[in-house]
Amino acid sequence: MSEPILAAEHLSKWYGQVIGLNDVTVSVPPGITGLLGPNGAGKSTFMKLITGQLKPSQGAVRVLGEPIWANPKLYFRIGFCPEQDAFYERMTGLDWVTALVRLNGYDGPAAKAAATRALEAVDLIDAAGKRIGAYSKGMRQRVKLAQALVHDPEVLILDEPLAGMDPIGRRKTIRMIREWARQGKSLLVSSHILHEIESMTSNILLINNGRILAEGNVHQIRALIDTHPHTVHIRAEDPRGLAREFLTRADVISLRFEPGAVVVETGQPDDFYARLTELVADGRTGGVAEVTSPDDNLQAVFKYLVKDHR
Amino acid sequence: MSDVATPAASAPPPPAPAPAPPREAPGFFYAALRIFDLSLGEMLWSRRTVFMALVVGLPVVIALIVRTLSGLGATMGEANGIPLTGPIIFGLMIWMFYIRFIVPVLAVFYGTSLIADEVEDKTITYLFTRPIPRGAVLVGKYFAYVLATVFVVLPSVVLVWLLISPIGASLGSTFPDLATDLALIAAGLAVYGAVFAFFGALLKRPLLFGLIFVFAWENFVLFIPGNLKRFSVAFYLQGLVPHAMPSDSAVSLVQSMFRITPGLWESLFWMAAIEVVFLWLAARTVARREYVLEQ
Repeated sequence: MSEPILAAEHLSKWYGQVIGLNDVTVSVPPGITGLLGPNGAGKSTFMKLITGQLKPSQGAVRVLGEPIWANPKLYFRIGFCPEQDAFYERMTGLDWVTALVRLNGYDGPAAKAAATRALEAVDLIDAAGKRIGAYSKGMRQRVKLAQALVHDPEVLILDEPLAGMDPIGRRKTIRMIREWARQGKSLLVSSHILHEIESMTSNILLINNGRILAEGNVHQIRALIDTHPHTVHIRAEDPRGLAREFLTRADVISLRFEPGAVVVETGQPDDFYARLTELVADGRTGGVAEVTSPDDNLQAVFKYLVKDHR
Repeated sequence: MSDVATPAASAPPPPAPAPAPPREAPGFFYAALRIFDLSLGEMLWSRRTVFMALVVGLPVVIALIVRTLSGLGATMGEANGIPLTGPIIFGLMIWMFYIRFIVPVLAVFYGTSLIADEVEDKTITYLFTRPIPRGAVLVGKYFAYVLATVFVVLPSVVLVWLLISPIGASLGSTFPDLATDLALIAAGLAVYGAVFAFFGALLKRPLLFGLIFVFAWENFVLFIPGNLKRFSVAFYLQGLVPHAMPSDSAVSLVQSMFRITPGLWESLFWMAAIEVVFLWLAARTVARREYVLEQ
């Protein structure tokens, strides 16, 4: 069996009285692994611990066989895409990625060439010379991905990489992630949306309340999740036009409108997302600016799982 | 003509393989230099620079008023029978405005925020997940701060000198003092900046403690007899001030500060020591401390 890319042993992290992560022992194999949990489940704390931004309160974490805390050399082999939407807004995408990869020891021309390749890989080369402050949400997500993979790391750790992307951007990014895995990279991808994770990998870690609830094959919990309606929030140019299209579908359980958006409850998220992507692609119902999924439905599954495991 | 393209015509040339990425950790000072590159532009175009421009604009406005009054024939007053000439007013402005106010205030606002700004903006993650020592992040940002503040403050000093010094004296005769003052202000920014960089790396409310240090501690210890004043930066800056001050009551406050003045070399030595030690402490603190970003 191949060595795990990541191993945590009795890993705990607390912030004063608040427990962020509680006695987690887990090992992540090579390939793509999804870290799935609702907001506040401990995903970001776990991500920060395994990327050496936080020091464990208790236990140990090793990445590629080495401790990560205070071990900067390991960042040659790791690329991290954080969740937060934070940038040097005045810099262009190319300048920013170039400046960051220079910290990996690249000289000026090599850094620029690597940054250009990374921006090409995330399909952002046309906007490379544009200020990040002028990027759309999807472009901002992609430039974060570019800085994570610019130094060609073995392991990519991506914290909510699809958050806020439009359907086409999501589809492209999922394809990219699968392609990177095919190229031999290992990826740990966090999300609070099962559907997203499922479209990348079948290997998942379920996290809630700072604990790993389950690890293994996504299909084992698929049946559970299907019994709970999935809510999708779509910010669009023409929410009513989209709603008209959805109303004809049997899987749509309910619809409601918010300013500039439509919120849909569906019983079959896979089919729904596929249909939404088609609608956006053919442009009949105008553009879609953002698709998000509140994690109420996932929370319901976690509650169910916790009850089941008592 | 055949519709079938030849393989050579249809297949794009294979992309050049990417060169192997470096795996050698950049040295501390190389990394600091890269952080300096990254930070300088951000610092110069930040909102804080607008604040800095307003602060350094104040003495220029005052100098303009003094020069206008002088041009209109108003007398500048006397101190113990000695007329207040341009060089004396310039010396007072350097001490009262720049050394005792602008330099520490800018240092406290910039120095305490070197890491805090990156943490608040949540951009620190990008710097701390690169194969460089964390201390290099602080050192690179510190040098960007020194250059950014020097770049804004020194032109203001030169403007004040151009406006004030010709009153009752020639520019040429006061130029050596100007050169010394510029060096003194740059040194002050560097030393105070290192102290407040340490405050910023260590404390949760560094700005508050920095302001207490500048406006309470330093003012207090300079008037206390004994050696307590050696635990301030202002004490050593005094030793570098080139201007002679008149013993008029209006400036007796300044004169009293000069009663025990360290020598030039002693001042230079201790200022260099303070800068190096505090910068090292700040870098060490950053390397060991966790920074928890607000969710």
